[in-house]
Amino acid sequence: MLRKISLCAAAGLWLAFVGAAVAADIAQLAKMTGPDRERILHDGARKEGKVVLYSAMIENQALRPIKAAFTAKYPFLEVEFWRADTRDLINKTLAEVRSRSVVVDVVEGGGVSQSLIRAGVAQEFSLPGAAALPRAFVDPMWVATRVSYFGPAINTRMVSDDEAPKNYQDLLDPKWKGKIAWAANTETGGAMMFISFIRSWLGEQKGEEYLTQLAKQDIANLSGSPREVVNKLIAGEYPLALNIFLHHPLISAQKGAPVAPLLLDPVLGNASVMVLLKNAPRPHAALLLMDYLVSEEGQKVIRDADYFPANPSVAVEASVASIIPANSNKTLKFISEEDLFADRAKSIVLQKNLFQRR
Amino acid sequence: MDKRIAAAETMERAAPKIAEEPQILSGRARSLNLQVTPAVILLIAILGALVLPPVYLLIKTSFYTTAADGSFGVFTFEYYEALFSSKTLMGDLLNSLMFAAGSALFALILGAGQAWIVERTDTPLRQYIFLISIISLGLPHVLYTSAWLLTLGKSGPFNGLLMWASGADSVVFDVYTMTGMIIIEGMIWTPLAFLLLSSTFRNFDSSFEEAALMSGAGTAATFRRITLPLALPAVLALLLLVFIRAFEAFDIPALVGGAGDVTVLTTEVYNSIRKELPANYGQAGAFSTVLMLAVILLLVLQKSLLSHADRFQTITGKGFRPRVISLGPWRYLTSSILVLLFVVLLVVPLGMIIIVSLAPYYDGVNLALFQRASLANYAIIADSPSLRQAVLNTIILGVASATFVCALTAGGAWLAARKAKGAWIIDQLATVPLIFPAIVLSVAFLQLFLNSPILLYGTLTSLVIAATMQYLPYGMRFNFAGALQIHRELEEAAAAAGASRASIFLRIVLPLLLPTIITSWLFVLLLSVRAVALPILLAGPNSQVVAVVLFDLWGNGQVSEMAAFGVVWSIFMMCIGGVLYYLSRRNGVSVH
Repeated sequence: MLRKISLCAAAGLWLAFVGAAVAADIAQLAKMTGPDRERILHDGARKEGKVVLYSAMIENQALRPIKAAFTAKYPFLEVEFWRADTRDLINKTLAEVRSRSVVVDVVEGGGVSQSLIRAGVAQEFSLPGAAALPRAFVDPMWVATRVSYFGPAINTRMVSDDEAPKNYQDLLDPKWKGKIAWAANTETGGAMMFISFIRSWLGEQKGEEYLTQLAKQDIANLSGSPREVVNKLIAGEYPLALNIFLHHPLISAQKGAPVAPLLLDPVLGNASVMVLLKNAPRPHAALLLMDYLVSEEGQKVIRDADYFPANPSVAVEASVASIIPANSNKTLKFISEEDLFADRAKSIVLQKNLFQRR
Repeated sequence: MDKRIAAAETMERAAPKIAEEPQILSGRARSLNLQVTPAVILLIAILGALVLPPVYLLIKTSFYTTAADGSFGVFTFEYYEALFSSKTLMGDLLNSLMFAAGSALFALILGAGQAWIVERTDTPLRQYIFLISIISLGLPHVLYTSAWLLTLGKSGPFNGLLMWASGADSVVFDVYTMTGMIIIEGMIWTPLAFLLLSSTFRNFDSSFEEAALMSGAGTAATFRRITLPLALPAVLALLLLVFIRAFEAFDIPALVGGAGDVTVLTTEVYNSIRKELPANYGQAGAFSTVLMLAVILLLVLQKSLLSHADRFQTITGKGFRPRVISLGPWRYLTSSILVLLFVVLLVVPLGMIIIVSLAPYYDGVNLALFQRASLANYAIIADSPSLRQAVLNTIILGVASATFVCALTAGGAWLAARKAKGAWIIDQLATVPLIFPAIVLSVAFLQLFLNSPILLYGTLTSLVIAATMQYLPYGMRFNFAGALQIHRELEEAAAAAGASRASIFLRIVLPLLLPTIITSWLFVLLLSVRAVALPILLAGPNSQVVAVVLFDLWGNGQVSEMAAFGVVWSIFMMCIGGVLYYLSRRNGVSVH
């Protein structure tokens, strides 16, 4: 028995030792600068052979093109990705860390950073390419990959331009009662973020008054992603959707779908970010992927997928440029990762009390 | 005889047995002359290690807070307090009961109607219904459900038809409601209800009915006063079976109710883990424990109700043929009812899925949809390594869990049937998983793997372990029944000739039990490749399985790709099903 215990203890110590060694390695690697960096990452990644990305980007719109472009550049690397909404991304990542079976290297999405940082699983890092990004898009623990704008969208067969809401007050019109849908369980896009946005824009008191009015519209709480809400809109299940990613309806409209985004003033925006895992099994490949995602080359792939690149030197695709608030004389209301996290607890309470029937 | 009819009949003879819920078997502590052997101890150890830790961790989860990194925090009653102080629990429980009762009634009515027409009348085309029922049993529930959501949805053809007929300018029927959930779940269980009840109707000793007819009662009165009461125990058993299944169901409530704000107990479990940040394991644990207790109650009720069923014995020793009612011209009406049911239960949902799989995006069924049709979605799924991986994972999961279940239960069931000393413990352990609805088992295993010293979380191995435990009762049930049929004189002869117990099992029992084992293997395989609720919380990116991929594609809004993948998978499953069906027939496998 005693022998067994000491064996276990030895095994535990060994694991802790190996763990610490890995942690030290990745910390050094993640902050490395200088001319050797590229070569070291290359050599290491070649041995690692693949990289795993968990991301909230829509698979067929963005993740597949990114994978194709990245593997074209680094043929020795295989890219595996898993697409989910932010809550799932975080919960899955935390579960992997807790069970010491980490699959993921890089997590990407809106609102992913703060939970991972607080749980102590995020790795500080710096990317040379991040210098090209605006300062607000770079943090020691994360770097922005893309910008998103949020707002309502309509089914153009069911709602004419005249009938469409022109401002946030119009959303309270009783004619929309029972006709609005949003995503109920998401961090970015959907109910919680919209509530945080209204609170921060109108202030707590006016914001709550507005939300109380809005709650009378009996908004349908859909359980899927905001992209799925847009699909329901296209299918004609609802004429009006709130707080979806504004570029999603445009991408579908290009294929002929009867859907259009609405820009109300102000337009809500945020930046999706990527986080490196402390226990990333393939740190070299992970850093190469992160380098790529902020590089002009990678940002162009994101742009070509009709997303909004975080790097201002990469011009936005003309077809979605109209969504950028400045291009249509609208104000941008930007919510940072920190604010999104700080506001979430109260917004969830408001969501439960006001919008969830029962 | 038409080969198809023969095939259908063989399947249908097996089907009632397949469909039977494994019962919690009563303890068989009385041992005969056998000693506790290493084999018994080994089986007890393996089953105990498989079954008990998840139960323990599930209950522990409901009493501990979750720390920031997801590990167990401090002891608390807060989750139960939260559960019992809000209206949520009662609302969910009521919803669960209503959903289960509604689905059971719905399936019964459609299934019984079909069964009566097929078994007791001379309606043309009736023999094809078996084949259709068996085919539809193989469809993944997620696919079937999404097909119906598209069909009955606000922009679907059904509402279009209703609006055209009624002249209404807004949606007439909202599918994202309790009614919608009941209709879809009810349709899913209809083929099973039909298969179960048709054997009951066929096995009637029709002399009772003939006596009634000869005494002057008309067909209607005979049906009401003789046929119906005689069928009552079977009907009751079926109602309870579907009731419990629907009570435990996760996929339909999640897909339908999730979009319409209708929550039941099972979806609360899922939402606590997948839709909250951080995942609220404690709340999920508390919901799970309540759900588990409710299922235990239901199983006890089922056992006590069914134990009185022998008061209505309909199969007698007399030779008989069930009376077939000649419907005259009415048989064209019953025939069209069958065709209508076939269209509604199979053609409409499959057609809808095929149509959507050809569309770049779905905006309701209209002419433009057909103009845009292309095979682009099929090209995408053919090109996706992750989908190929999911298919491979699913096949491995099915084959491995079926094999382990059979390996663990074949010997155990034989030992239990022979009342070997200590074997009652094997029996009891193997039936414990019955008290877990799949989503609850998923939570229990999630906690187990998260806390396990061995790295299992997110691996395919973990899915196989969980599935093996879930389907143990089925293996036990099948093989116990099989072992009971083998007369012990064969074994006694072998023993008298000096064979050891191991060699008796391997050389006498195993070959005789083989047909039963193969059938249970096939059954577990088919169940485990179709399941969503168990793998949904356990699968990692490298261990995705088809049913979960379909579920996620739907939730992520990739409806057209989901449809294409679903079509390909369904065709594949039907082929596999056909091959297995052919093999099992050639080998003369059927469970008696």
